Amino acid sequence: MKTLLPLALLALFQPPRPATSDAAQLFEAKVRPVFAARCLSCHKGTQAAASLRLDLPQGWKNVVASGTLLRAVRHEPGVAAMPPTGTKLSERELAGLTEWVKQGAPGPVTLAKPDPTKHWSFQPLQKSPLRSPDGVEAMLEAKRRELGLSRNAPAPKSVWLRRVSFDLIGLPPTPEEIAAFLADKASGAESRVVDRLLTSPRFGEKWARHWLDLARFAESHGYEQDYDRPNAYTYRDFVIKAFNDDLPYDMFVKWQLAGDEFAPNNPQALFATGFLGAGTHATQITKSQVEKERYDELDDMLSVTTQAFLGLTVGCARCHDHKYDPIPTKDYYRMLATFTKTVRSDVDVPLDPDGDKTKLAAWEKVKEPLVTARAAWEREKLPAKLAHWVATTSRKPAEWVFPKVEKAVSAGGATLAVQPDSSVLVTGTNPEHETLTFTLKTSQKKLAALRIEALTHPSLVKSGPGRATNGNFALSNVWVRVEGPSGGFGGVKLTSAKADFEQKGLPVAAAIDGDGVSSWAIDPQFGKSHSAVFILESPVSIPEGFAVTVRLEFNNNSGHGMGRPRLAFAESADAPLDGFAVADGPEGLLQWYKTLDLEWQALNTAVEKHDAVRPGPTLKKAMICSEGVTAIRTHTQGGDFLENTHFLKRGDPNHKGDIATPSFLGVLTHAADSTWQEKMPSGSHTSYQRRAFANWLTDTKNGAGSLLARVIVNRLWQRLYGRGIVATPSDFGTMGERPTHPELLDSLATKLISGGWHLKPLLKELVLTESYRQSASVSSAKAKADPDNRWLSRFSRRRLEAEGIRDAMLFVSGQLDTTLYGSGTLDESMKRRGIYFFLKRSKLVPFLVAFDAPNALQSIGVRQSTTVAPQALIQLNNLQARTWAASFAKRVEAPYAPAESLRRAYLLALGRTPTASEISDGVAYLNKGGTLTDFCQVLFSLNEFSYVQ
Amino acid sequence: MSSNEPNHFFASPTRRDFLRRAGAGFGSLALASLLTEEAGARGLGKAKRVIWLFMNGGPSHVDTWDYKPALEKYDGKELKGFDTTTGFFADSVGPLMKSPFTFAQHGKSGTWVSEIFPKLAAHVDDMAFLHSCYTETNNHSPALFQINTGMSRMGFPSVGAWVTYGLGSLNKSLPSFMVMYDTLGRGLPKGYAQNWGSGFLPGVFQGTALNNQGQPINDLERKLTEPAQRAQLDLLQRLNKQHLAASDNDPQLTARIESFELAYRMQMAAPDALEIAKEPQDIRDLYGVDKKECGHFARQCLMARRLVERGVRFVQIYSGGEENEKSWDGHTNIVANHRGFAAETDQPIAALLTDLKQRGMLDDTLVIWCGEFGRLPLVQKGGTGRDHNPHAFTCWMAGGGVKAGVHYGETDEIGHKAVKDHVHINDLHATILHLLGINHEKLTYFFNGRNYRLTDVAGEVVKAILA
Repeated sequence: MKTLLPLALLALFQPPRPATSDAAQLFEAKVRPVFAARCLSCHKGTQAAASLRLDLPQGWKNVVASGTLLRAVRHEPGVAAMPPTGTKLSERELAGLTEWVKQGAPGPVTLAKPDPTKHWSFQPLQKSPLRSPDGVEAMLEAKRRELGLSRNAPAPKSVWLRRVSFDLIGLPPTPEEIAAFLADKASGAESRVVDRLLTSPRFGEKWARHWLDLARFAESHGYEQDYDRPNAYTYRDFVIKAFNDDLPYDMFVKWQLAGDEFAPNNPQALFATGFLGAGTHATQITKSQVEKERYDELDDMLSVTTQAFLGLTVGCARCHDHKYDPIPTKDYYRMLATFTKTVRSDVDVPLDPDGDKTKLAAWEKVKEPLVTARAAWEREKLPAKLAHWVATTSRKPAEWVFPKVEKAVSAGGATLAVQPDSSVLVTGTNPEHETLTFTLKTSQKKLAALRIEALTHPSLVKSGPGRATNGNFALSNVWVRVEGPSGGFGGVKLTSAKADFEQKGLPVAAAIDGDGVSSWAIDPQFGKSHSAVFILESPVSIPEGFAVTVRLEFNNNSGHGMGRPRLAFAESADAPLDGFAVADGPEGLLQWYKTLDLEWQALNTAVEKHDAVRPGPTLKKAMICSEGVTAIRTHTQGGDFLENTHFLKRGDPNHKGDIATPSFLGVLTHAADSTWQEKMPSGSHTSYQRRAFANWLTDTKNGAGSLLARVIVNRLWQRLYGRGIVATPSDFGTMGERPTHPELLDSLATKLISGGWHLKPLLKELVLTESYRQSASVSSAKAKADPDNRWLSRFSRRRLEAEGIRDAMLFVSGQLDTTLYGSGTLDESMKRRGIYFFLKRSKLVPFLVAFDAPNALQSIGVRQSTTVAPQALIQLNNLQARTWAASFAKRVEAPYAPAESLRRAYLLALGRTPTASEISDGVAYLNKGGTLTDFCQVLFSLNEFSYVQ
Repeated sequence: MSSNEPNHFFASPTRRDFLRRAGAGFGSLALASLLTEEAGARGLGKAKRVIWLFMNGGPSHVDTWDYKPALEKYDGKELKGFDTTTGFFADSVGPLMKSPFTFAQHGKSGTWVSEIFPKLAAHVDDMAFLHSCYTETNNHSPALFQINTGMSRMGFPSVGAWVTYGLGSLNKSLPSFMVMYDTLGRGLPKGYAQNWGSGFLPGVFQGTALNNQGQPINDLERKLTEPAQRAQLDLLQRLNKQHLAASDNDPQLTARIESFELAYRMQMAAPDALEIAKEPQDIRDLYGVDKKECGHFARQCLMARRLVERGVRFVQIYSGGEENEKSWDGHTNIVANHRGFAAETDQPIAALLTDLKQRGMLDDTLVIWCGEFGRLPLVQKGGTGRDHNPHAFTCWMAGGGVKAGVHYGETDEIGHKAVKDHVHINDLHATILHLLGINHEKLTYFFNGRNYRLTDVAGEVVKAILA
């Protein structure tokens, strides 16, 4: 075990030829500071000492090549020791120079520090329109010709079909699709295939997954408890739909940043804002960490925004001006301020607000004549009918009258609301003990009896009638006073009581026995209304202007108040317990009487039936991001956001500077900020800062629009060709790779913009080029001349992504469930596409993780593509892999002869028929005891299955 | 194993390939030059592997390794000027509390050790104590992230990931970074698998956590008999090789063919490595495998030894589960909590040190003991426990090039804050990497526009504890 491992590793790590950026960094880090501090005072400009200029590569080239430079600074004999005065260079400085020389002394063109604002990606698009139909290809071909390269011959049709199917919809072609395409000899066959793929709903699922990588999308908070975000999937669904609908990209961008401000009535625009909140959120925040955590969260929002849309890393500028790119700290905090009050919120989103309005209007139109008819009857027929009834009936009009409730007060802090039927609904706080006081007005002249009804209500436990956890109440005392406006009279005595039901040991008499605790209750008759009548010692007259106060006390048990009491008065002590009642006054009689009339009942039923079908909005719970909404809160010892965003010294919230007002990235701003800022409409609960930012971001004239277009064009390119025109798709800064085909990139970006930001036409154009169609074969000469395939001298063979492998296995096994949209699951045996897994940060799906699915913590522009043993273990031993292989086998098993089974299996899995030797090899395997399932598992495990070529 | 063979858990050509294709040219470049320098100029680090014993929840330094006699004097007195937001519970700040444990001096170094570590006390002359460690946050998951990744935010590569990225594994058939956590159903450390995640480094560098029930590693158990699987694999590889020949011998395809053979071997190698039943009884007794109070942790320590013996580069074992009384997070009763967890770990860790030493492995195995922060010298109101303290905690290391029997740094007289020779988490990481022969300033990875380091922009190697 005593291996010299690093030496072994060295062989492994033979670095690729240093990228320009590496070299530039080496120079910037190790050489420029030394030259500047120790050499340039003499060796600079036309008057340079010994005519040696170290401010120009031509100047140092010779002394580097001859070794003089290193010998001089090392003070070796034979050359003048440098620097001639002062101390010798430090070991560290010497090591840096040595390393640089060893690397071939790479450096910039001049020692004058390059102006980063002149960096290519910050410049406006260069206009050189593509000459269709061969524009893209012509530009690629020109570059290849210049370098003495040529592209490969086209791949066989079936190879192209498999390639383009995986690239556009993430699934292989079916045998039927292959047969149809091979049979289609008419011109435009490819174009028709591409159209079919681009209109498949599977297209959105494939391309949304790429975007979700950039959006660091997951459905849980992460950190301490990693709580779920059950409604976050609406963002994923938005992305899928946006790709399927070919939503213009500038709109796609705007909605993700400020859909709530651009299109508040469009549910998709609201779902889109989930982008900002898709990152992590500390679920347990201590007091001392509140500010830091919020600044971290704002940084996450800003970082993902600039990385995904602009390919720029701004996070560095949190502590200091960006080292390489023109991103000053000032700009960072001013951009950060855009999001100051933006929080995550779970809201009910009306899915079709306009449709809802139309439906409601239609409903109201039908209702109106029904209501009119009823009102007309009440106006024209009711008075006469009542008069006739009064004249002819032997029945007393009403035994009980509901007095008008002037005031209702809960001593325990409950909320009281008088209902149309004169009852009083009690909600909110349910105090330990309760006293309800009612101030009542009546037109009756005399008061002989009081009736108290305890009515049920759906809002109560078991519908009540009490507020106790079992639906009971316990009425301890009833007090009645009759009082004039300036005093007079006083309490009246109640002498007897009866009730429709009494709980054992808690009779209604207890409510007037003067004992503050003994009570009337109704256990076990919950869920139905009850009533009790109390007779006054002697009837009292009620002079004009006097009010009756009734006080009900509930002291017997905890929280045992009534849920919906209703009080009625009678002028006669004989009024029966269940006697009918009307509201006070002549109107009360009218209202009561009409309910007995059959004609009125018919008219009223028509209204009620229609009310029952009142169309409500179709709502969907969604996690959106906005301002002035209820934030999703976990455990925090602080607020949901900070009132202001400050400039921070070295990123430390304990060292605050001034308040940062929202603005944009200076280097991409070519007009006054007011160009993009809009006045927020009155009553707006959002600040319109995000809208301004999105306006700036998508402004191709004076804002960041050029870069925005370049970045997305490059991302599409990268997905199709395996490498972007800029090989660092999330880094368009000075440290990123330079574009291999800058004119092409700009032409495509220009075309995207002029075409209304539609992505599908661009994708179509790219997959129909000869460069995309060429074969993947690579001669050793080509491998040497174009090792990274920068110049597209072949098609880049590459492994499917995690979801692609899994989806293809399911698809080929005939098990794929193609349900679109909706919430996901953690269940690994799920048969829907991989994009529908519920992404819980602490429980990522092992299958996907093994194949390099991202961990949803940072924006990812290029996934890793590793080859590790655990992937092979999945192919060999994973329960799902075995299950799907078995289903696959079922699709091709008997009645077919073994050879025919194999032929079908090859066609399904690999899109081709097997060779004779493959068949005989397979048949021999089956004959020696291998099962068809084992064989199908082999097909799933083949390199040919997992690689697009 | 030939000395020039790149020994990797993953198939070799692909590593180079993905580093290149991920735009990570500079990362690999830096690594290559770093390794040249280390191998050529200064020799390798003394440590070849790491076993990190993570006392999850934040052990109280004043009740374990940082003896504070002054606390007896101040017991029950209020600490004037104390910032009540230091710990987690701002409204439960009680007076100063002396350690309920007795301390005694041990070894030639005369190290004061709490009575709860009777067996570990015998090893103090092998340990280097860092008494002045501090961190930046007072809550579990950010503090766990910080000590494991250098950043209190989620999403950065863990130390184990960086180390295996830098050094690779010594065994092809086992993961190079393995993690074990509580097997008594007390949960995972807060922040879960991100504590051993690979962040933006390739996924292959993330820690493989052994499942605490069922099969220890996913998909390791074959579904076919061995001969049937071999026959299946033979057919697969035959077809793959035909495809390879028709595909320009693409190295990524070759690597994948190789990965199936690695997987095939892993099916045997990994269970073998974890099979402590194969250990002789005296070794099992040394660790306390059959003891009720510490058997679970003893098994993990013994597995750790078997794993590093087989070339696993980095092993991390968590003592205790998520928080509160399920871990060293003794908020309510420091006596019951710390006595309990000390009893779970004292004998197994002592045995691990003894065992590594008797096998000659301690010299090149770095053993680390610490938690994510320390605890306050105050009592937490409502009980006899202590709240979190980010300002001070003790970490000890042993073996792997560490100077034996030394103490570095100091806290104030009550153990509230580090006051001398402060050791930031970045310093701790720089020191660990240094012991492994890695210059922490040179181990970089280029991601989203910048070079990242485990130590970000800071970190000083604590030279005083280097042998």
